Amino acid sequence: MMMKKIGALSLLVMLMVTSCQKKNEPIVITAEDYHASVDKVTGVMIHDIFSPPVASRIYAYPNIAAYEILTRKNEDYNSLSGQLHDFGAVPEPESTENLNYDLAALIAHMDLNRRLIFSEDRIIAYRDSLYSIWEEINEKEFNISKDYGLKVAEHVAQWMDKDNYKQTRTMPKFTVNSDEPSRWQPTPPSYMDGIEPHWNKIRPFVIDSAPQFKPTPPPPFSMEEGSDFFKEVKEVYDISNEITAKGDDSEEVAIAQFWDCNPYVSVTRGHLMFATKKITPGAHWIGIAKIASRNTDADLAKTVYTYTKTSIAIADAFISCWDEKYRSSLIRPETLINEHIDDSWEPVLQTPPFPEYTSGHSVVSGAASVALTSIYGDTFAFDDDTEVAYGLPVRSFNSFYEAADEAAISRMYGGIHYRAAVEIGVKQGRDLGKFVVDNLNMYNESGLASN
Amino acid sequence: MNRLFVALFASLLFVGCKKEGELFSTPAPKKTGVNFINTITETDDLNILDYLYFYNGGGVAVGDINNDGLPDIYFSGNQVKNKLFINKGDLQFEDATDSAGVAGNSSWNTGSTMADINGDGWLDIYVCAVVGINGFNGYNELFINNQDGTFTESAASYGLDFDSYSSSATFLDYDLDGDLDLYLLNHAVHTSESFGKASLRLQRNYETGDKLLRNDNGKFVDVSEEAGIFGGINGYGLGVAVSDFNMDGYPDIYVGNDFHEDDYFYLNNGDGTFTESLRTYFGHTSRFSMGSDVADINHDGLPDLISLDMLPAEEIPLKASEGDDNIQTQKLRVQQYGYHYQFTRNMLYVNQPDGKFMETALLSGIAATDWSWAPLFADYDQDGEQDLFVANGIPKRPNDLDFIKFVSSDQIQNKISNTKLVDQQALEMMPSGVHHNYIFKGKKGLAFEDKSESWIVGDAQISGATAYGDLDNDGDLDLVVNNLNAPATIYLNKTNDEANFLKAKIKYRGKNTFGIGTKAYAYTDGQVQFKELFPSRGFQASSEPIVHFGLGKSEKVDSLKVIWPNQTFQVLRNVQANQQLILAPENSKPYIYRKTNNSPLFKKVEGNLGIDYLHKEDNYVDFNREKLIPYKLSDRGPAMAVGDLNQDGKEDILFGGSKFYPARVFVQQDSTFVFQDLEEIKKDSVKEQISAVIADFNGDLKNDIILGAGGGDFYGKSKPLTETFLIQTDSIFTEGTVPEIFQNTSVVKTCDYDGDGDLDIFIGGHAETGSFGKPVPSHLLKNENGSFIIDNTFNAIQGMVTDALWDDFDNDGQKDLIVIGEWMSPVFLKNQNGRFEKVSDLRLNGLWQSIHSFDIDGDGDRDYLLGNWGTNNKFKASQEMPLRMYFYDFDGNGQTETVTAIPKNGKYYPIEGLDGLSGQMEFLRKSFTSYTSFAGKSIEEIFDEATLSKAKVLETTLLASGYLKNEQGSFSFVPFENELQIAPIMDFISYDFDGDGAMEVLVGGNYFGVKPYHGRFDSFPGALINNENDIILGSRLGLDFTQKSLRHLHVLEINNEPYLLAVFNNAEAETYQILNK
Repeated sequence: MMMKKIGALSLLVMLMVTSCQKKNEPIVITAEDYHASVDKVTGVMIHDIFSPPVASRIYAYPNIAAYEILTRKNEDYNSLSGQLHDFGAVPEPESTENLNYDLAALIAHMDLNRRLIFSEDRIIAYRDSLYSIWEEINEKEFNISKDYGLKVAEHVAQWMDKDNYKQTRTMPKFTVNSDEPSRWQPTPPSYMDGIEPHWNKIRPFVIDSAPQFKPTPPPPFSMEEGSDFFKEVKEVYDISNEITAKGDDSEEVAIAQFWDCNPYVSVTRGHLMFATKKITPGAHWIGIAKIASRNTDADLAKTVYTYTKTSIAIADAFISCWDEKYRSSLIRPETLINEHIDDSWEPVLQTPPFPEYTSGHSVVSGAASVALTSIYGDTFAFDDDTEVAYGLPVRSFNSFYEAADEAAISRMYGGIHYRAAVEIGVKQGRDLGKFVVDNLNMYNESGLASN
Repeated sequence: MNRLFVALFASLLFVGCKKEGELFSTPAPKKTGVNFINTITETDDLNILDYLYFYNGGGVAVGDINNDGLPDIYFSGNQVKNKLFINKGDLQFEDATDSAGVAGNSSWNTGSTMADINGDGWLDIYVCAVVGINGFNGYNELFINNQDGTFTESAASYGLDFDSYSSSATFLDYDLDGDLDLYLLNHAVHTSESFGKASLRLQRNYETGDKLLRNDNGKFVDVSEEAGIFGGINGYGLGVAVSDFNMDGYPDIYVGNDFHEDDYFYLNNGDGTFTESLRTYFGHTSRFSMGSDVADINHDGLPDLISLDMLPAEEIPLKASEGDDNIQTQKLRVQQYGYHYQFTRNMLYVNQPDGKFMETALLSGIAATDWSWAPLFADYDQDGEQDLFVANGIPKRPNDLDFIKFVSSDQIQNKISNTKLVDQQALEMMPSGVHHNYIFKGKKGLAFEDKSESWIVGDAQISGATAYGDLDNDGDLDLVVNNLNAPATIYLNKTNDEANFLKAKIKYRGKNTFGIGTKAYAYTDGQVQFKELFPSRGFQASSEPIVHFGLGKSEKVDSLKVIWPNQTFQVLRNVQANQQLILAPENSKPYIYRKTNNSPLFKKVEGNLGIDYLHKEDNYVDFNREKLIPYKLSDRGPAMAVGDLNQDGKEDILFGGSKFYPARVFVQQDSTFVFQDLEEIKKDSVKEQISAVIADFNGDLKNDIILGAGGGDFYGKSKPLTETFLIQTDSIFTEGTVPEIFQNTSVVKTCDYDGDGDLDIFIGGHAETGSFGKPVPSHLLKNENGSFIIDNTFNAIQGMVTDALWDDFDNDGQKDLIVIGEWMSPVFLKNQNGRFEKVSDLRLNGLWQSIHSFDIDGDGDRDYLLGNWGTNNKFKASQEMPLRMYFYDFDGNGQTETVTAIPKNGKYYPIEGLDGLSGQMEFLRKSFTSYTSFAGKSIEEIFDEATLSKAKVLETTLLASGYLKNEQGSFSFVPFENELQIAPIMDFISYDFDGDGAMEVLVGGNYFGVKPYHGRFDSFPGALINNENDIILGSRLGLDFTQKSLRHLHVLEINNEPYLLAVFNNAEAETYQILNK
C-alpha cells in the first residue's frame, strides 16, 4: 500500500517534471505525504520491535517537530513552546524566502523518525527517494526547507535527549521475587523480563508528573475464595472459558484479537521459534487519528495537529500507566490461574511482559479517545481498518469513546487483565486525556471562527 | 554476506584438504557398498514446524547378525526404508535388506538396536518409530533372527509393538534374572507454551512417556510405574545411557531430556525398582540434552558420563543463535516450577567414589560441539585413554535470532496463522547448521584435545546416530554414521599398526548370550581401564557388542578382571595384546560389590554440635542492576570468626549477618555449642557482613569483634556499608567507633604492624557498588588506644581485593602483608617499621579468591597457596591474551558499563550477545540492525577504537589456582592439577588431618554468582593436599562440599577433639568429625 503511494507520487512527479520542463515549480506537500511518513515509521517500529511505551515516544517527538514548523505559517495553530515541559521555542529560519514550511515539517518528521528507530537505512532509503524527487522539482526551495527542517529537528532532538530516556537504559531490571504471591512474574512462553520498569522516570509532555493520575489501588491481593480479588481472577477465567467455548467466531474473541496490538508475540515449536509482530496500542490509535484526518479531508496542518495532540496524549498515558504498573507490580491472571485454578489454561492473547495493573491499552485508549474527540467531536463514527494489514477485520465504531471502551474490555476477553485494570484504567486515561486537552492550547478559537 | 563468505571459505578448505584424516579414512560408498542415505523430504504438511524432531535423523546398529565373525550394519531411515548391509569381508558390504526382510513398515523410524532378545545366540533387531502424530503409522518393529539370513517381524508376540513417540531403546538385564529387559525412550511433543510444573512427569502418558519393560519368559511387561520410572508428557527423551554408575552390581539408567525437563538419573535399588536421584548426585545438567555415553575416562574404575547439548564454539553461530537462559527465567524455573539447574552446553560428569559427579566439560575442552547428537567414547588411537567422537549438524538452525525476530514474521506469520503451513522459502531463511563432526583425543588429567581437523577429514555433513565396530576386523574401532540427506559415513580406523589393543567378545550363559552388563577391568602397568558392555550408546544407535581396550605400547594386559552380570568374576592373567578373546564364564567366583574401599577421613556430625546456623542470601541479583558484570559481588558472605567471647578458655563462633538476618554467636559448652542472643549484635540486622575478626583490641584481655561489611547491594554513603566494632566490657558488647568506609569490604585481617603492642587492622576493599571494575582502595586502620584511625601513609592497594595475609615473607622479624584480589596480581608489601613497600612484580593477574601459607614442597620455607577462579568455566586467559574487562560510560548517559571480553583465535569477543550489550547501550542497535551483522564481530569491531581507548581495561592473565613456590625468597607460580581447577577455591586450612604428624591443607570452593552463561561452579568436592604431588579429592574423604559454595574452613577443638567447621554461602554450616585423629 505504501509502495503504491510512493509509486503514484513519483509518477505524478515525473509527469509534472516532463510536462513542466525544468521549471521550478513549488513543492506541494499534502496530508497524504505526512500519513505516508507516519506509516513508514510504524513499519520500521514493527520491524525493530519497540515495546509499547518506547513506541509512544517515537511517535510524539517527530510529530511535535513537524507541528512546530507548521505553526510558524499557520496562525490557527499555536506553538507548543512553553506548553510542554522544558520545550523552548524552535529556532527561527534564517530567511523565509523560498522556505516551504510544509516541506520543512515533513523533513523534520522524517529526520526525527530516523533518529528514534534502529534500522535507519529503512528511513534513509525512503527519505532519499523523496529528496531526489523534491530536488528535481525545485532544488532551491528544497534545500532551504531541508535546512530549516533539519535545524528544527536538531532543536527537538536536543530537548528529547534530556527526557531521561538514555539514563533509563542503564537502570536496574525489575527483580522477580516469586516469594511474594502478588508480585508480577514473567509469563509464558518467553518469560521475558518486565519491560521498561523505569518508564515513570521519563519526562512527561503535559502532565505534571508520572503519578499525577495515580489510580486507586487494585482490590487487595487475596486468593481466598470470595475475596474481591479472587472474584476478579475467577471472572477472567470464566469469561475466557465461556468465549473460547463459543469458538473463534465469537464476538468477544474477535474483539480481543482486534485490539491485541502486541508488537511481539513469540511462538515456540520445539527448537523452532518465531514471532508474529503487530503494531502497538499507541500505533493503533495513531491509525485511528489517520482515519479521522482522512475521513474529514483534513489539510496538512490539521492532520499534523491531530497526530501531534493524539501522540502527546498517548505518550503521557504510557508514562502514567507504567508508573502504576511498577508501583502495584501486580501478577497476571495467567500466572495465578495456572497456579491456583487450572494449570493448562492459556489466555486468548499472549500475556505481555509487564505487570498487570492498570491496563496499558485501556489507559492509552482512554487518553487518545479524549484527544481525538476534542478535535472531531464525540459523535464521530468511523470504520477502523487499522489492523487489516495484520490479517484482522474492519470494526466500526460510533465514536472514539466507544472504540476506547471496546479496546479496554478486550483485555479481559483476551485473558490478560482483570476487570479493575480495565475499568479504572480507562478512567485513568480519560482523566489524563482531559488534562492534556485542557492544558494544551494548540488550536485557535479565532481560527475556528474564521474557518 | 558473512554466510556467503563462510560457505566460500568452507569450499576452499574442502578443495585444499586431503580426503583422508590422520586416524580415519572415509571410504566412499561406491567402494564399500554401504550406500544408505537417510533422505528426508520437507513438505507443506511435514517439516520442522509440524514436527519438532523432524531433523533428528535415523538410527544405526552394528553387530554380526550372521555369526560369520564380521560385524554387519543396519540403518533405520526416517522416511526411507531401513537397510541391512552384510559384511562380506575386506570392507565390502552387500545390501541384504530385501532378502532379510528388515526394511520395516513404519512411516517414521528412529533409533535401532541389535540385541539377542530371544537368547538364541543370534542378534535380533529392534527398530523404534514415531507413530500417531503427523500421520505417522506403524509401530516399533522387532526383527527376530531366523539364523538363516532372514528375519521375522515379531514385535507383537513379544509385547514390543508400541505405537508411540519412540526415539530409542536399550536392552539391559535390570533385575539380573538372566534375560534382557528393555528401557524404551520416548519423546514428548508437548505443545503447551508454559513450562508447566516439574511434577507433570508423575502423570503417565502412553505416547510420550518412557517405559521400562520386564522380560517375563519372552513377553515384555510394562513395569514402569511400579519400578518408579517417570512417563509424563514433558519427557523429551533423546539420550539414554545404562551403566552401573554406583557400582553395586545393578545397572542404573541416565535419561537425557531435551528442553526444560530435567534429565533423570535412575539408581537401581536391586529389588526391581529404581529411585530417580538426579539432584543428589548432579549439581546441574545439560539443558537441551541429546545423546549420551558412558566410559571411565580417568582410570578410577568408575563409569563417567557425557551428555550432549547444542552450544556452538564459533562466534558466528554462537552470537546469531538464541543463547543462554535469562538468569531470572532460570530462577523462576528452578524455584517456581521445580526444575533443576540446566545449562546449554555439553556436560562431562566424572564419577566420584561417593557417587556424585564432578562436571568438567569446560575444563576438559569438550563443552561446545555445536548441534550435537551422538557422543561415542572409545580409545580410537589405542593409547590407553578414552577418546571422544561427536556427531553433529542440523539442516536449519531454528534458533537463529534473525529468523526469530526479523525474518519469520514477514515471511511466515500469515501462513502460520491462516494455514498452519510454512513454505520452503521461509524454511530457507534459516541458516544452515552443517558443521564438521568432532573428535577429541583423550589425555591425562581429564583433558581432551580437539583433533577434528587432523584425525578426520573436517568435511561437514549433518550427522546423527553413530555406532562403532571393528568393521575390518583389524582390532581398532571404526565408526558408522547415519547422515541426513547424504550417504552414511564410514570412518575407517588406521591405528592398528601404531598401537596395541585387546578386543573381547562375550559368550555368556542363559538368555543373555552376549553378556550385556559384563564389566571388564584391564590392568596394565599399574593402570586400570574399565569397560562395561552396554551396546546401546550414543544416540539412537547400538554399537558392536564387544569390549575393546587400547594398550599403547604395552604388549600385554597384566590382568583382566571380568565381572559377570550375575555378580561372579574371574581373572585372566598376562593376556597378550592384539588379539580377539572370547570371554565366557569359567571357574568364576562370587563377586562382592563394596561401597568403596576408601577409608574416609571425615564424617559429618549428626546435630552439627549444636551449631544451628543457616546463612541466608537475600533476593538481590547484581545482574539486575549492573547487567553486564561478569559475576556477583553480593554473595561473598557470611563472615565467620572463632575466638573466646566469654573468657572460659573455649572457642566460640561468630557468624556475620546477612540482609535482615543479624549476626549469630554460638558459645562452646562442654560438648556442644549453644546459640547466644547478644543485644548489640542483633542491632545490625541489615548489614551483609563478609569478614570478621575476634581479638582483644583494647588490651583488657577480653576479646572484641570487628565485622567487615559489603553485600554489593548498598550504595552511596549508606550505613550498612560500614564496619562494626564491638567492644566487650564485662559480659556485654558496646559499639566502638571505626572510620566509616563506604565501600564493599571483602576481608578484615589484624596484625600489630606498627609494633606498638596493639592490634591494627587491614581492611580489603572489594568494590564500590554500581561501579564494578572501578578500583577501590584498601585501608590500614591503626589502633590508637582502642580506637581506630585510617593510616594515611598506606595507599599501596587499589583494586578489587578479596583476601590478605599477614606473613613475614622476608623473615626480617616484621610481619609483611600479601594482598590478593580479582583482576590484579598478588601484591607483596614489605613492612618497614609500619611503612609498606611493594616488593613483588609477579604479573599474575588472576581472579584470586584466597591465599594461604603452607610448605607444599616440603623444603622448609613457606609457599603461598592461591585460590583462583579455576579453568572449568568459559573465561579464557593467558599472558599473551588476557581476559579483559572494559570499564567506561560507553553510551555517555552518566552510568558506567562493564564489558567483559574473552580471547578467541587471537581476537577479543564480548561474552554478552547483542541483546545483552544493547540492553545497556542502545546505540549498538543502530550499529547492528541484525544479529548476523553482529555475530562474529570482535570487540574492536563493535566499539570503535577511540571509545575503547578511553575505557579502563582490567586484565586477568591466569585463571588456574596454584601456589607460589618459594625458592630462596623468590616466587614462581605452579598451577595445581586439573582436579583442583574444577571451581573457584574459596578457602584453605592447614591441619594434620590424617594424624601422620605432618600438616596437610584442606581446600574448599565452588561459586554460583555467575550467569547461566557459565552455569554453576558446583561440583568441586573439596580436596586434601598432602604435598605438591599428592592431592586427594574430598569425595574420597567423606567430605560433602558439592552443590554448596564454601566460604570458610576452620578446625575447632572441643574437649581436645578436632572438628572441621565448613561455612557456606546461602546454606547451613556443617561440622565434620576428623576420624584419624
